[in-house]
Amino acid sequence: MSKITIPFGPQHVALKEPENFMLVLEGEQIQGATVNLGYNHRGMEKAAEERTYLQDLYLIERVCGICSHSHTTCYITNVEELAKAETPKRALAIRTLVAELERVHSHLLWLGVAGYEMGFETLFMYTWRDREQVLDCLELLSGNRVHYSINTLGGVRRDVSAEQRAEVMKRIDYLVERTNYYIKLATEEPTIYARTSKVGMLPPEEALRRNAVGPTARASGIARDVRKDDPYLIYNELDFKVITHNTNDVFGRLVVRALELVESYKMIKQVLNNLPEGPIAVKVPMRIAPGEAVNHYEAPRGEDIHYLKSNGTDKPERLKVRAPTLANLQSVQYMLEGGWMADVPLVIAAIDPCMSCTDRAVVWDPKKGKKQTYGWEELRKMAIDQYKRRGVDFSRLG
Amino acid sequence: MDSIIPLAQILIFPGFLFLASYGMMLQWVDRKLCAVMQNRMGPPWFQPLADFIKLLAKEVIVPDEADNTMFRVLPYFALAAVMTAMVSIPVGEAALFSFQGDLVAVIYLLTIPTVTFFLAGWSSKSPYSTVGSMRVLTQLFAYEVPLMLSLIGPAILAGSWNIAEISSFFAAHPALIPAQLLGFLAAIIALQGKLERLPFDIPHAKNEIAGGQFTEYSGRLLDFFLLAVDMELVVGAALLNAVFLGGALGLTGAAAIVLFLAKTLAITFLLALLKVLMARIRIEQMINFCWKYLAPVAMAQVLFDIFLKYKLG
Amino acid sequence: MSEFEREEQIKADLEKHFKGSVSNALVQRKNRVWAEVETAKLPEVAAWLRAAGFEYLATVTGFDEGENLGAFYHITDTHVIINLKVKTPRATPVIPSVLAVYPGALSYERELEDMFGIRITGLPPGRRYPLPDDFPTDQYPLRKDWKFVQPAGEKEAK
Repeated sequence: MSKITIPFGPQHVALKEPENFMLVLEGEQIQGATVNLGYNHRGMEKAAEERTYLQDLYLIERVCGICSHSHTTCYITNVEELAKAETPKRALAIRTLVAELERVHSHLLWLGVAGYEMGFETLFMYTWRDREQVLDCLELLSGNRVHYSINTLGGVRRDVSAEQRAEVMKRIDYLVERTNYYIKLATEEPTIYARTSKVGMLPPEEALRRNAVGPTARASGIARDVRKDDPYLIYNELDFKVITHNTNDVFGRLVVRALELVESYKMIKQVLNNLPEGPIAVKVPMRIAPGEAVNHYEAPRGEDIHYLKSNGTDKPERLKVRAPTLANLQSVQYMLEGGWMADVPLVIAAIDPCMSCTDRAVVWDPKKGKKQTYGWEELRKMAIDQYKRRGVDFSRLG
Repeated sequence: MDSIIPLAQILIFPGFLFLASYGMMLQWVDRKLCAVMQNRMGPPWFQPLADFIKLLAKEVIVPDEADNTMFRVLPYFALAAVMTAMVSIPVGEAALFSFQGDLVAVIYLLTIPTVTFFLAGWSSKSPYSTVGSMRVLTQLFAYEVPLMLSLIGPAILAGSWNIAEISSFFAAHPALIPAQLLGFLAAIIALQGKLERLPFDIPHAKNEIAGGQFTEYSGRLLDFFLLAVDMELVVGAALLNAVFLGGALGLTGAAAIVLFLAKTLAITFLLALLKVLMARIRIEQMINFCWKYLAPVAMAQVLFDIFLKYKLG
Repeated sequence: MSEFEREEQIKADLEKHFKGSVSNALVQRKNRVWAEVETAKLPEVAAWLRAAGFEYLATVTGFDEGENLGAFYHITDTHVIINLKVKTPRATPVIPSVLAVYPGALSYERELEDMFGIRITGLPPGRRYPLPDDFPTDQYPLRKDWKFVQPAGEKEAK
């Protein structure tokens, strides 16, 4: 049978964000895969150098919609380290609370997406409905559903009241019950098992070699979790387990995420029950003394790492953001090759890719310097040329 | 006058108009049932009709690379084949045109739409539709045998290849209907594969290969394909009703039609339930499943029916 | 001193093994070690670190210090982050690739090439990342002297 090259993206039903996979198929089996990125650049690192630390906080929040709290917390830990600010204990606890709620929100979202990608739409509908509960919690605590903006330099913006605590507790109890149902469903439903087992295999050696992070690595049996290994916020005071699984496949990633949900509920309750008293923020100076700091953070999708260099002014000298997806994409290529075409969406979804986190720069061409309007013919020609360079010839389509 | 009544029957009831409108209604029932089972609102009752009219008004785009004639003609073939199949299946008390051996003819006619899906995808020449059409054909080989085997059982028992006769046999011996349970279940699952619905919607699995065989289709042409799929649902449900459930069960007139509607709705409910309960499986898993489990189950039913026939004399 | 025993040990080992090529080593705080490495020695140091259990290259941060360009290699075992600094002259910026040691470094190194114009020796051919294919190859957006120019005829996004 002859080989077919299929462009999977940048616009494709299974992909929520632009990225491109060129798949060489022989029948239904994948012979080769290449990953192309960079469709989503917004120039955040450059933009951050031109804004003040406080403005950057809100810019960094917009690196990603789902792990917005992860990025700001990582950034703000760097800033507070450089400013030598003593963040109050209560603020750290509230940050931890929001971080775990965010993890719950992200993992529930992922469960739904995984269900959708394997064609199990009922799972998708169910989990996304339950996800509303945790979004409501976040709205209750921070006032926002997606970009919570709970962090501010030196602490948090809002305190947690007794009523809020009771309400969050109530919803978490409901979610615990639902999550147990999903764990039962995911492990006992034969079609889910048939679709996820032995799919997208990533043996531990390869996961290590390709530097996989987060649930992707943990599902290959690598107990790697920044929360345990290099505790930040108040994680060293919380009692939780690092979930690992040794099947190395998508099923393992499913189980790891589902069980992590349970751990997160445990942590949320611990934080809410032992919320330290005291102020929620301290003042941080506008100008920050020269220095360098690097911090990592266990985002829902894996390790997120930020580097910050200050130069004594109110603007950072250099800010570097590395989101977990970029680290995990190196493994995707390995996982795809030799697999089935039908598993491609699932394997890609299994690392929980977030392209807006991964790409951060704007496309700019100062040389052209003028507004260009392309006619239909020109656009068509450009598209054909672009695909030709990647080995797909559409020119015969007239 | 003599020629007007058959013409009206073909065009209005139980022919084209009835088939099209009931097909849309079943599509709505199916969607609404799924929605309710998935905790959603679901579409209003006129949604399928609105979709149909909207698509009719849309531009038809034929890829330059595609085989123009084939591309344009195929949807009508699919539609015609499905409608012809319906002629021999009893709606209410009797079929429009019944003859000895029409069961085989219906099975044959129901295969034609699938073949047109394959040809449609193949002649569109885009990578997605090529993969989709290969899957259509692969899938055909998986479900066709269990479907046929499961339909043969009742035919052997009734000693006839005429659908109407099989119906009246079961209407006369209702005690034998439960004995067909295994074959009925196998037929329902195979029908799900024939209709390309979850968990067997592999040929047009949207998150893998976009629209599969229909990727390049648009406007009117796509509309007719979708209508053919809707009608196939009616024909499939009506066929199972006639072959396994005794058709009108001896009733006549309006009562028979009400019974027909009730039973086809029940079959649609079963199909919707299957759709909601499962994840889409891979093509090779589907083939394994159909040959390893479904075909033997259907075969067992056939053997059981031969045995029963022998016992009953 | 005993507070950061492991960090001090790593620092001492680094200085011992690569005498002369590792300078300004510093234990900043718990779990953070910084060191400056001679550019040519980078792959060797990386290989040694990997063998010592630092199996993750978390990321590579490029920087522009005016006279010198360079990069930080953040290497970690999740517990301790070791930040290796390498410098290269602005006129002829070249850094050897660590791809042989850390295959995951591919996109980070391509980013260095695209954003800072640092040539990475030993990088396999491939599509550029993260800038688009038609971006001019002599423009390096993350260098300090690169300024964003609003093209005439286009309104600033509000």
